[in-house]
Amino acid sequence: MELSQSDKYLIVVGIIFCIALAVLSPYIASGDPDGLEKSAEDAAVGEDVEAPVMESPFPDYTYEPLDKLGEIGVLIFGGLITLVLGLGIGYALKKSD
Amino acid sequence: MHIPDGFIPLGQCAIYYVILIIALYFAGKWARANLDEKRIPLLAVLAAGIFAIMSMNMPIPFGTSGHMVGGALVAIVFMAPEAAILVFTAVLLIQALFFGDGGITALGANVFNMAIVGGFVGLYTFKGLQGIIGKYPSAFVAAWLATLVAAVVAAIEMAIAGTFPLTVGIASMALYHAFIGIIEGVLTVIVLYALEKFRPDLLAWNRE
Repeated sequence: MELSQSDKYLIVVGIIFCIALAVLSPYIASGDPDGLEKSAEDAAVGEDVEAPVMESPFPDYTYEPLDKLGEIGVLIFGGLITLVLGLGIGYALKKSD
Repeated sequence: MHIPDGFIPLGQCAIYYVILIIALYFAGKWARANLDEKRIPLLAVLAAGIFAIMSMNMPIPFGTSGHMVGGALVAIVFMAPEAAILVFTAVLLIQALFFGDGGITALGANVFNMAIVGGFVGLYTFKGLQGIIGKYPSAFVAAWLATLVAAVVAAIEMAIAGTFPLTVGIASMALYHAFIGIIEGVLTVIVLYALEKFRPDLLAWNRE
């Protein structure tokens, strides 16, 4: 796994982008229902229809004990594990030379 | 448009999982034939960026919000909907497992809507319009349409599941996502423009 300078730069820019959004979104992201949730309201779908099959460790991107800092933390964590999983998938499936 | 657990009966979830497995088989085949080492960081950065941008819900009219999805973007960057399937399987799996965003049972349906429908509609709209209205306007239209069609498909799935009535579901989903699609279109164009400016070597449209 040899990364060129410009690929390292791309990854660094990606990480900075994720951290910037993670820091901002707990403060500026809209808390209104999204398109699907709002459509469910329009269709009078009951609150109890949504039934998670397992408890997620950070429901709705929150970590209650740390409040806003927790939200920022879990978003950074999520971005980083997604990056690692993406790299893993890429190297596992890459074109064989 | 992340469908949560409980909105689709398990039997139907199984069908979407079968589609996901078949899609992953083809995506894996595409990667082994086309994904050179040089573009692996791009794939991973797009996945992480999409994870992050999905946290940034922006307000749209009607007391609703929406965020960029990115299926069209990934498909256009790689000129392959298969790349979107790989990226969204990763992103949606992590969102479902760690954050309860999108159901685990609905993972197959969510990848189907955002990556398969979004990716194919996005890429082929782009390809069809590119020669007529140019790269960036077609990318905007492609991303907007990908969002809209994916939302309508989700509404149809909700109707098959018996969760939303068909007409209310399609009307609501189409209306809200026609606005959310504008966010999608603008951000898709910005990312493509930035890649063209700083890393044109990574864009598949410069290779074909």
